[in-house]
Amino acid sequence: MGRKDLAIGMQRVNAQLYFSIANSCLRGRAVLLYGGMGANKTTLINLLGSSFLSMDFDQVEDIMVTGHPEQTEEKIVGFLDPRQWADSSAGPTQVLWTAWAASNWKLINEINRFPSGKQNLFLEILQKRKISYAGQLCRPGDTCYFATMNPEFSSTYPLDEAILDRISACVPATQPDFMAGILLSEREKDVRDLADQLPRFTPQEFSSLPGMVAEKHLSGQVELAILCLIRDFTLCERAPFYDKTQLSSSKPSLGLCSGCHYQNNPEAICWQVDEGLSDRVRQDLRIFCRAFAFLLNRDADLEVLKAIAPYVIWHRTTPMRHALEMPPYFGDGKLAYVAGLVEKSINRTMNEREEMNRIFSRAVDGETTAAKAIEELSLFDDPIARLDFIPALEDLS
Amino acid sequence: MKLSSFMDSAYQKKRPGKRLKTREGDMIFSLEDLADRVGNKPSREAVEELVPEDNNQLDLLISSDPKKKYSMIWGYLTSLAAERSSAPLKPPSRDYVGLELRHGTIILPEAGDHVGERMRGGRIVVKGKAGDHLGQEMQGGRIIARGCRDYGFRSMREGFGVILGDAGKFLGIGNCGGRITVMGSCKERAGWLMRSGSLNVSGDAGEYLGLLMSGGRIQVKGIAGRRAGWRKRGGSIAAGGFGPEAAVDVIELE
Repeated sequence: MGRKDLAIGMQRVNAQLYFSIANSCLRGRAVLLYGGMGANKTTLINLLGSSFLSMDFDQVEDIMVTGHPEQTEEKIVGFLDPRQWADSSAGPTQVLWTAWAASNWKLINEINRFPSGKQNLFLEILQKRKISYAGQLCRPGDTCYFATMNPEFSSTYPLDEAILDRISACVPATQPDFMAGILLSEREKDVRDLADQLPRFTPQEFSSLPGMVAEKHLSGQVELAILCLIRDFTLCERAPFYDKTQLSSSKPSLGLCSGCHYQNNPEAICWQVDEGLSDRVRQDLRIFCRAFAFLLNRDADLEVLKAIAPYVIWHRTTPMRHALEMPPYFGDGKLAYVAGLVEKSINRTMNEREEMNRIFSRAVDGETTAAKAIEELSLFDDPIARLDFIPALEDLS
Repeated sequence: MKLSSFMDSAYQKKRPGKRLKTREGDMIFSLEDLADRVGNKPSREAVEELVPEDNNQLDLLISSDPKKKYSMIWGYLTSLAAERSSAPLKPPSRDYVGLELRHGTIILPEAGDHVGERMRGGRIVVKGKAGDHLGQEMQGGRIIARGCRDYGFRSMREGFGVILGDAGKFLGIGNCGGRITVMGSCKERAGWLMRSGSLNVSGDAGEYLGLLMSGGRIQVKGIAGRRAGWRKRGGSIAAGGFGPEAAVDVIELE
């Protein structure tokens, strides 16, 4: 693997590897590995599949589907069994499901080589426990979803926002660095031999992993930081219902924020990204916090959240171009830019929002009147206080 | 669960405070580092808590130019350095030297504004002339200067201030203790609103000496300007001579 590019407190790990392992411990989540060709994205997922499913490496390779324009639903999911029409005693319609559809380890290789229309097929499949075709259901059960993609090349297609939202985490897969290159040169064995050397999980062990992850407790701090983080990205004073996900033609990058007093305020996040975050992000943040805490044998605390949240958010948002083009991002450091926004939001929640959060909670609990709380909250120039708390208290009163 | 309980659990390990401590545990290499942690107008305790143990590092901080932005922090650092040092400290002549000094000695060739403000002990010697607000709100200690500009020893509570030459306007305004001695002259409105303490002037004093004073003692060996003791309600003024419209109880020295 490449460098240890993910720092969680004092621990440093490789993001590509750990997100893939974390996703193997979860069900119904999808991890996208994004990087140039030959960065071992597909090999890594197949190696993990071989280990977690206790299968031969070649068998795992055969399960995956690879994107190209001629792929169809029939080739990916399954097709009607033609033999049933020759059999007069045939019962209900029979579908021959593909190995991919029936497996609970689904790798969509080169997902952006599917044309945009065909990508919609995955909208229904991702994060689901069953697949339907011709009125028949395939129930592979809880499934681990993985996808890989290259940057934009001549024969790739852009991914739709809806499908990106269904991808829980997107991790850059870089080429092996110098040290990794030396290790690879010394290795004589084939990748299949490496797969044979990996530890094997029994089906019981594999199915027990989500339960072990769920046992990890999320502290109140993390829950609150996640809530505020999502609202920081989503709230917009000028969007319908203050919800940026409602925007279609008008966006911050298209001048929506012009003249808004939050614009160019580095502490405010709303004007710095075009898209709001859906509730899926909250679920993904919570579950990946737990998974990393489980893998690293530590508490699911703010350090874990700060480290993983950028990977959960960055593919779902588009930062303002002019902000991204400034040093140290130089137009291409989107992940680092989103990491900065995440850190800003969490720090603000923990250090500067205590007073307003407590005012709101006292009013909700009936310890103080809504009118008094609204008066106090009106002093806070914070999008959450102004666009979330005050309208909520107005409804209460 | 009540929302208040949720907030309690979220903020249980947080200390109250609105500003983010981004560099907790970091070394302090510059006044900017210190200001990031304590703000530009901190308390002495906040600075004292973070100031480096290493005296060389403290000297390095004192030798840097605080400009106007970090002058209060720099002032606290001079006091802390003087308190640590057995020999007199000789910092550059800038504003806020000896801010809240508790003990130790500081020697300055000349002084800016606010020198010795709120000092509680120790000694400050200014070989040249000091600026405005010298020894303001002093609570102890001694200051000796060749001269000072306006508002010298304002709101003094205790301590001893000596001006070897002339003092500016508004000397010892609102004092409720302490002693001030001026070997030269002082300008108008010295001892304004004075409640206690003493002011001795060897030369002349400007007009409105002891204006509205309610206590304390003023003695001017030279001549006080017009309206000495104007509307005074207590205390005593004695002068070698005084101008017209002086209060009836102003005593003329022989």
